[in-house]
Amino acid sequence: MALSGIQIYKMLPQTNCKECGFPTCLAFSMKLAAKQVELGDCPYVTDESKQQLAESSAPPIRLITLKGKDAEVAVGNEVVLFRHEKKFVNRPGVLIRVADTDEKETITAKVEAATAYIVDYVGLDLKLDGFAVEAASGDAATFTAAVDAVRKSSNLPLILVGNDPAVIEAGLTVLDGEKPLIMGANAENWEAMADLAKKAETALGVEAGTLEELAELTEKIQGKGVEDMVLHPTGQGMSSSLALQTQIRRLALKNFRPLGYPTIAFAGSGGNPAKEATLAAHSICKYAGFVVLDTFSPELVYSVLVLRENIFTDPQKPIQVLPAIYEINDPKPDDPVLVTTNFSITYFSVANEVEGSGLPAWLVVADAEGMSVLTAWAAGKFDAESIAKAVKQFGVGDKVSKKVIVLPGHVAVLSGELEEELPDWEIRVGPREAVDLPGYMKSALT
Amino acid sequence: MAEYEVRFDSHPEPIRVPAGTLLVEVAQQAGIEIQQPCGGQGRCGRCAVIVESGQVRRRSILRLSKADVEAGYALACQTVIEGDASITVPPPEAIQRRLTTDHIAPEAAIPEGYDASRAQSVRRVEIQLTPPSMDDQTDDWGRLCASFRRETGVERLNASLDQIRQLGATLRSSDWHVALTFDTGQNGEARLIRTQPADAAADTPLCGLAIDIGTTTVTVWMVDLLTGQVMRQASEYNQQIARGEDVISRIIYASKGNGGTELREMVLGSINGQIQTACERAKLATDDIVKATITGNSTMMVLLLGIPADIDVGIAMNSAGVVDPLPGVASYVGADITAGVLSSELRSSDDLTLFIDAIEEVWIDGGTYEPDCRVIGNVAARGICGSGLISLVAEMFLTGLLDKGGNINETLDTPRVRRGRHGPEYVIAWAAESDGAEDIVIARVDIDNLLRAKAAIYAGFIVLANSVGVPLETAERVLIGGSFGKYINVEKAVQIGLLPDMPWERFHFLGNTSVKGAYLALIDSAARDEIAEIASAMTYIELSADNTFYEAFTSALFLPHTDLSRFPSVEAAMA
Amino acid sequence: MSIEIPKDKWPGAVQTVTLGATAEQGGTRTKVVTIGGEQTLPFMHFESETPNRPVIAMEMSSSRPGGWSQVLQDTWGDVLDDPAKWAQACEQAGAELIVLMFGLTDADDNPITPDFAVQTVKAVLEATGLPLVVLGPGQVDIDNAILVPIADATKGERLVLGLCEEGNYRTIVAAAMANDHLVLGRTPMDVNLAKQLNILMTDMGLPRDRIIMDPTTGALGYGIEYGYSVMERLRLAALQGDAMTQLPLMVNPGFESWKTKESKVGEGVPDAWGDWAERGVHWETVTAVSLIEAGADVVVLRHPDSLTRVKESIDELMAAEPV
Repeated sequence: MALSGIQIYKMLPQTNCKECGFPTCLAFSMKLAAKQVELGDCPYVTDESKQQLAESSAPPIRLITLKGKDAEVAVGNEVVLFRHEKKFVNRPGVLIRVADTDEKETITAKVEAATAYIVDYVGLDLKLDGFAVEAASGDAATFTAAVDAVRKSSNLPLILVGNDPAVIEAGLTVLDGEKPLIMGANAENWEAMADLAKKAETALGVEAGTLEELAELTEKIQGKGVEDMVLHPTGQGMSSSLALQTQIRRLALKNFRPLGYPTIAFAGSGGNPAKEATLAAHSICKYAGFVVLDTFSPELVYSVLVLRENIFTDPQKPIQVLPAIYEINDPKPDDPVLVTTNFSITYFSVANEVEGSGLPAWLVVADAEGMSVLTAWAAGKFDAESIAKAVKQFGVGDKVSKKVIVLPGHVAVLSGELEEELPDWEIRVGPREAVDLPGYMKSALT
Repeated sequence: MAEYEVRFDSHPEPIRVPAGTLLVEVAQQAGIEIQQPCGGQGRCGRCAVIVESGQVRRRSILRLSKADVEAGYALACQTVIEGDASITVPPPEAIQRRLTTDHIAPEAAIPEGYDASRAQSVRRVEIQLTPPSMDDQTDDWGRLCASFRRETGVERLNASLDQIRQLGATLRSSDWHVALTFDTGQNGEARLIRTQPADAAADTPLCGLAIDIGTTTVTVWMVDLLTGQVMRQASEYNQQIARGEDVISRIIYASKGNGGTELREMVLGSINGQIQTACERAKLATDDIVKATITGNSTMMVLLLGIPADIDVGIAMNSAGVVDPLPGVASYVGADITAGVLSSELRSSDDLTLFIDAIEEVWIDGGTYEPDCRVIGNVAARGICGSGLISLVAEMFLTGLLDKGGNINETLDTPRVRRGRHGPEYVIAWAAESDGAEDIVIARVDIDNLLRAKAAIYAGFIVLANSVGVPLETAERVLIGGSFGKYINVEKAVQIGLLPDMPWERFHFLGNTSVKGAYLALIDSAARDEIAEIASAMTYIELSADNTFYEAFTSALFLPHTDLSRFPSVEAAMA
Repeated sequence: MSIEIPKDKWPGAVQTVTLGATAEQGGTRTKVVTIGGEQTLPFMHFESETPNRPVIAMEMSSSRPGGWSQVLQDTWGDVLDDPAKWAQACEQAGAELIVLMFGLTDADDNPITPDFAVQTVKAVLEATGLPLVVLGPGQVDIDNAILVPIADATKGERLVLGLCEEGNYRTIVAAAMANDHLVLGRTPMDVNLAKQLNILMTDMGLPRDRIIMDPTTGALGYGIEYGYSVMERLRLAALQGDAMTQLPLMVNPGFESWKTKESKVGEGVPDAWGDWAERGVHWETVTAVSLIEAGADVVVLRHPDSLTRVKESIDELMAAEPV
């Protein structure tokens, strides 16, 4: 388990020599506990302490990185059960499944569309992470052709799914210099699969219905020299998968090494995207390292990728939207200019209320380091200067003919200074709460 | 740019100003004092004036009602001139404040076996020089230096050109018998502070000052450096209060125009006024003061010293004397804290100790009043001090007038609970019972302010304790410094959740630990060195950078606390 | 290999709360809903039985809601103009609970009156046998003006009245206590604030089995993670034995998700957003399922398809297989 600042402090020289760049050993230990500095920054730490600290910081869940031709996806390294304790570290990989029994054209079309898929969410480009190619045919040549078809349409990382090591091995011949995940090893085929994973230097998926079987398999496979594994608990139904995923996470966090690997969940539900959405949500919330969808449809993928983004944000840090001028309801040059901060919740509240009202407006989002209006004002991050800077930087003056700018009511105090900063503009003070904006815009701005 | 005429009721001549000038600036030109407790941010409403006629533009009317605006009221710090205008400035509210520090001067025991000549760096020696003769034509300065070396063993004495210029007259008028005051300083090089005729020096003490600049109060101790005796203690409100009641308001004011210079002059006024009085009473000249140590929170220090600090500080003392601003740790942990840690002897104890300082006085706006609060002087008080407010809220809470959220219980069958201009309020005294024209009330907003202040303080304790990994309740001692501390009733403060609930004998009130630390540093170089060590050994926990603070804050935003089990004595009192 | 499954044994449990009352119990409901009673984290059947399944409520309004997404309006059609018919449609769609929201005005844009409010509630109660949650428009004076007569006129029904908020809970709590109703307390996405409101309401003498808490959530993409974590933390605190957090949780994924641009806007949006109607239902479903994983006892939805999908997930999550 990770050590607290005070525990680390006890292992340090406690001389306050300041050579690490911090004023005291305690300050340095606290930074170390927060993983913001390296232990090596302390020139006087003993080897014994070094070793102790290294052990305490080894991740309880192994980091697994899959490599495609020009992209990677890394999962694992998680350290908590609940996201409020500490940030969930690595977003689960979201991949799309194709079967080698599908028509080649179907595979190509699906893979091309999914690879090209990109959606903007608060200034972030959300994308899919790769494909799972399933050897449903059981035939090496068919499978190889399917892997080849996928690889010709996408450079993203792959998972090769099938229980026949020979078939998987055939599929691997298409890939060069990549690190795919092959799965899966089970009680029957584990030895051959382990040999294959070892030889081809892939990660190996391990499948079983109980924790005991999973742990036994991973130990045996590790004995064969394979380190990178992914667990596939094959319980039926959401209740069972929730129990297994939870137990694996709990045991791993207790440093039970045989289960210290990320997991994979298949959300495909016989071609029912409605069910896939709920299963994917379930798996993202509760501990899957990879989530494999059957369906590629933009509306499904969009909702799944956004959920992943949300659950895996750092709870200690506010989410920010990109400082910019946002157009709401197709504004014209004579529509009003509203100002707010780039804290995502603040932005959404304002944007949603205005959007819902149907009234057009220009929304200037100033960079306030992701703080809400009042907090940012109190911290000096949202002042007349920063607002004026945003207005100039985003060329707001060129977009509008009526130079009226509406300040959030909470910062009415800024109106005077803002007048000085923006002499051509008329400064108005709007309501304090976003919910009152539509009413204000109807009564005071028209 | 267009110019307009502004007339004030209390000023004979109209003032001409360019369009767009702020009303406070116009008033300043007319020499009219307008209070700006919030530093001119338009937050407090105390600078309200009446625009009898003319063209002005109100940038902000926060704190003014619609009726106020219709009656002509405007905030002077937020209103600009856009035409000839005629302004009435209401009589300034007499800010009634109780000087607290003078009642609670901490014991200033002279350290045992105090030896001025060894403990601190300023010395005075008498020197009898041989007058120059035909055989010995050494110049005055060389003559003095040679004798000084013989007398003290110090190799080198440095002096300013001015000091050397005046030397001749002093030597001759004193019949070559002088007293030299000098700072031994470092590296065996002494620095001359003063040359006096020996007989004049015999009657004057060697004076030092320990100065503590609080946001609210400025405290000056005058000390006889030869004996270590504190000759006088005095405190006065920091004149900067008129330009901002809290640190943030001052910073904002300082950043505007000449604000910084103005604030510096104000605090110097507070300091030097006390020095002058002390000197008069003790029949001393300010030149007799040869050393000063200064503490204060970081903002106060910067406002006094400016950055860089190598300018003449401007304290009324010997201009060649030693001025020593004590070191702090970070922007929120100033020399007042390091000096406080020194004088509270925190370092020499192994007990887990919580040291609380810098609780500034909490005042609530005019119009509120607490019946038990003593009225100072013959003026009806306009506000009450924090300790009174704490008692009032604790009582209202325990009697059920307030719920745990600080909401006034509006369902109680009493005319004292009613809806006022700012929401629910409780009438403490009817107009007929007091000398005012209005009923005296405590409103929800007053209670909210107190709740926020106490929650922030308590959350600070929690985060601090958490960050070092110890439960707050395990603190073996709680030391409370600062002038406010002495007036806190521990029981009431625990009842509202300001102080942690633990046996009262663990609480100790130390009074102004900061000035006491400055005093120790003044008379004892070892103590001065220790302050530097303290400053370098302290770990500063930035509360606002830690999101557990917000958590601790919202849970403390309740009476006494969301987690009642933290306050067993209050739980018992309510049962 | 034998592995000892780590099982949490919690000292605390969530309060069991029953909504609605049958004729024998002093009301007129043909069905009642019981929620809460959890002794462990959601669906950890290997640790403890989950006595009551999460419940799906449908939201409806006292008159045709102004700002609803066209997708919803097309789905529900004309019933939106008739609260009684709408309530019946909700029941037919599979709702286990009805949430009746009052707007500030009636269908003719006149401000609502206490009389109108009472008549509307009575009409809904007659049209359906399901338990009912009644929420005022959210303005203190109007809420108090309509909820008190509603409480009086429906004594014994065990309605859930709301919203109780920190500055405005006394009147509603008093009306609920006098007439055997329940209350819904809402606080803005903060564990401490949720707990504080529960303390204030129970301090008035309201028994804990008559309180449901709404800790507020955000929609998918719009702050769901805040609501999600607040709910997880509240539930953990409850299980750890903190009595003032041991109340069932009710949240509004329907309201939150259908006000997002994704659900509300069909044209002029990026192609990557996909099909509008299906996206709206995904948005609501994903929001709801995630919040159920975090501990929701009641989710209030708006779209009947979402209801079907979420119900299927609850069925699966409640299936207590031996592990």
